[in-house]
Amino acid sequence: MTTVVYSSPFVPAEWIAAHGARPKRIRPDAAAAARSAAPVAGMCPYARALAGEAMALRDGQVAVFTTTCDQMRRAAEWTALETPAPVFLFNVPATHGTPAAARLYLDELRRLGRFLARLGASEPSRDTLADVMEAYDARRRQLRDALGVLAPREASEAIAAFDRDGSPPTQAVHGSLPHGIPVAVVGGPLMRNDAQVFDRIEEAGGAVVLDGTESGARTLPAPFDRRRLRDEPVLELVDAYFGSIPDVFRRPDDALVAWLGRELAASGARAVVLWRYVWCDLWAAFAARAGDLAGLPVLDLDVSGDEGADRRTANRLQAFLEVLR
Amino acid sequence: MNLPPKRISMEELDILWERRRSAGAPMPTYVGPLRRHVAEGDRRLLRLEYDASPAALRLWSFLLTEEERLHAARAAGAKIVGTMKDLGTVAVMAYALPNVVAFYPDGAWWTPCVMELSDGLFRIAQSLGFGESFCPVRAMLGAFVNRAHFPIPDILICSAGAVCDDFSAIAQRVESLGHPILWWEMPHRRRPEPDEPAVELPGGFSAPASQVALVRAELERVRAALEGLAGSPLGDAELADAIAEANRVRRLLAELRRLAYTADPCPMPALEMLIAEMLAIHFCSDRAETIRVLADLLEEVRRRVKEKVGIVAKEAARVFWVNPVADLRVMNLLEDCGGRLAGTEFLFSHALDLIPEDLPPMEALARMALADPMAGPSADRAARIERDARAFGAEAVLVSRIPGASHCALEGAVIGRTVRRSLAVPVVEIEVPPLADPMRPTLSAQLEALVETVQERRKR
Repeated sequence: MTTVVYSSPFVPAEWIAAHGARPKRIRPDAAAAARSAAPVAGMCPYARALAGEAMALRDGQVAVFTTTCDQMRRAAEWTALETPAPVFLFNVPATHGTPAAARLYLDELRRLGRFLARLGASEPSRDTLADVMEAYDARRRQLRDALGVLAPREASEAIAAFDRDGSPPTQAVHGSLPHGIPVAVVGGPLMRNDAQVFDRIEEAGGAVVLDGTESGARTLPAPFDRRRLRDEPVLELVDAYFGSIPDVFRRPDDALVAWLGRELAASGARAVVLWRYVWCDLWAAFAARAGDLAGLPVLDLDVSGDEGADRRTANRLQAFLEVLR
Repeated sequence: MNLPPKRISMEELDILWERRRSAGAPMPTYVGPLRRHVAEGDRRLLRLEYDASPAALRLWSFLLTEEERLHAARAAGAKIVGTMKDLGTVAVMAYALPNVVAFYPDGAWWTPCVMELSDGLFRIAQSLGFGESFCPVRAMLGAFVNRAHFPIPDILICSAGAVCDDFSAIAQRVESLGHPILWWEMPHRRRPEPDEPAVELPGGFSAPASQVALVRAELERVRAALEGLAGSPLGDAELADAIAEANRVRRLLAELRRLAYTADPCPMPALEMLIAEMLAIHFCSDRAETIRVLADLLEEVRRRVKEKVGIVAKEAARVFWVNPVADLRVMNLLEDCGGRLAGTEFLFSHALDLIPEDLPPMEALARMALADPMAGPSADRAARIERDARAFGAEAVLVSRIPGASHCALEGAVIGRTVRRSLAVPVVEIEVPPLADPMRPTLSAQLEALVETVQERRKR
């Protein structure tokens, strides 16, 4: 069975699974960046790390990148030039709310299907797709339920585990919910060991009440409409993913702004930690507006993924939370 | 009055204007001494060297009076379209309408250079969170805030999707400041799959027919918005005329480039060629005058080619230049170091290639838009560079990185590798900030090394 490795929340696991392939959404290891041999200066560490992961793929594994940022788009090309492993670049439209944008996303889903078919996968029937979607939806519901009772780091890791293999938390492990200054973490994706940032925040006297990173619950697709799931599963998939996930690359970015306002108010956060990678223009620009949008203090936490980054991050979090006390 | 080809200072160019005025030479009213622009803050003009010709004087005067033209158009009741990022397509459409003027606020990226940072645009951008990790186009944000440069357009139209992140992020910030934007999708141009219907684009790339159809649908939204702004229909006949006029500009430029990049000795300096090519993007807010300016320049070049005279020695190293420079003075540096232009790819080759006139206009424009080198893989761009560099007889390729630009880190590496392999010429990457004076020794060393490498290779 072909394993499809990707990192973007806009790639539907259900679509891959329904084609008989194994979806594996990963959080790349920062250490993999060196393998990419891509330039360091000016390049997003996350994109380098994902390229490095893709270059280590073995037979039977393929990589899917998305066009959600310029750096990722070019990292896909770099990877394809450097490795014999098949690489697919999924064009996720930046605009939304137009027939053309939805059509492009739908066309890209179908093109991904053809790509998988060329690797031996099979095109699913409507019922097969609906069955797979229904199963994912049920497991995702379990995941959502668990997120409410898990400690922030455990919740993040539960999402990562679900992304890797589609499995929800096996038991309702009630983590010790943190006490401290309520903080929202908003921003780009996390790499493999980055969930420890939630621990660092707690160690500094904070309590993460909202995970709005790209790796968090913000980018879970909307629950499926059960009736439409059976009638028009592909269109339902388009709506649940492309039509629902708010993100920073979308133009305009009003859905992300609305999400932020709504979720911050619901979470009771008193401050925002904005998680972004150096050279990420999209989140850097959003960071500059986040204070005004949130009406809260914002720590613009630019992370590099290199040695010493964790120590620097801890120091900056410590200083930020001290000010908030 | 035929002057020997050479580069001269601004003062000397102003003397040329004085002499022409005294002699009663016919000149458009906007042509004048460049010192008037220095008085307004364009201090970089004092440090540039210019081609010593009336055609260059006209070119520079035309370029430097654009803001005045825009303000005059506003005062005269014209509608102003601010078209962003697509570099060419929407401008062609806008100029099809009567009483509409289009320009690219993106062009503000040269303002900090031309004003030697006295404009304060970067400072304003910094105050909004857009510092040096963003490319110099962040100056545009400052220009929207201080309103001291271009007039705020009546409509803003911006492509999104397969564009650079810097621009997308900055444009979103512009919108958040109360300037609504019509966003339209530019898909990532990909190679057609086997058996997938494909079309050839201007410039030689190919793309799936479905992508062209998508862009066409998006441009229909743009058309509707322009019609709403102008209050008059934008029919295919008007668009066809506009395409024909745009192609007049492109044909002039094609001939100008052919002569300037192939003739020996080089008949026109690199700096004037950069400015001339830029005119194709939005005609510097006056399409008819752009045609006259380019025709003048071409006449001058033809004369020099015929007389076998040029602005550098015949043995100057033939360099193909990739990407526009943030500091115009670096174009002078190429010639100072013993080089000359032998081809360019300033990231808007789709604004130079002829737009098909044998297709329905919206189809032709969609194909043009999708040919944008920014929208496709770097390998496509590298292939185009390789082809053009070969055609112009370039002996080296120079990739000029734009500081902070999201596409430059990997793109330069891909282009460099491809060109080295296929063309077997030396490739050098430099980075040019908006004011490169502190880096001049380094840049000089890089350019001189490139020229020396070319000269050594000639001996083999």
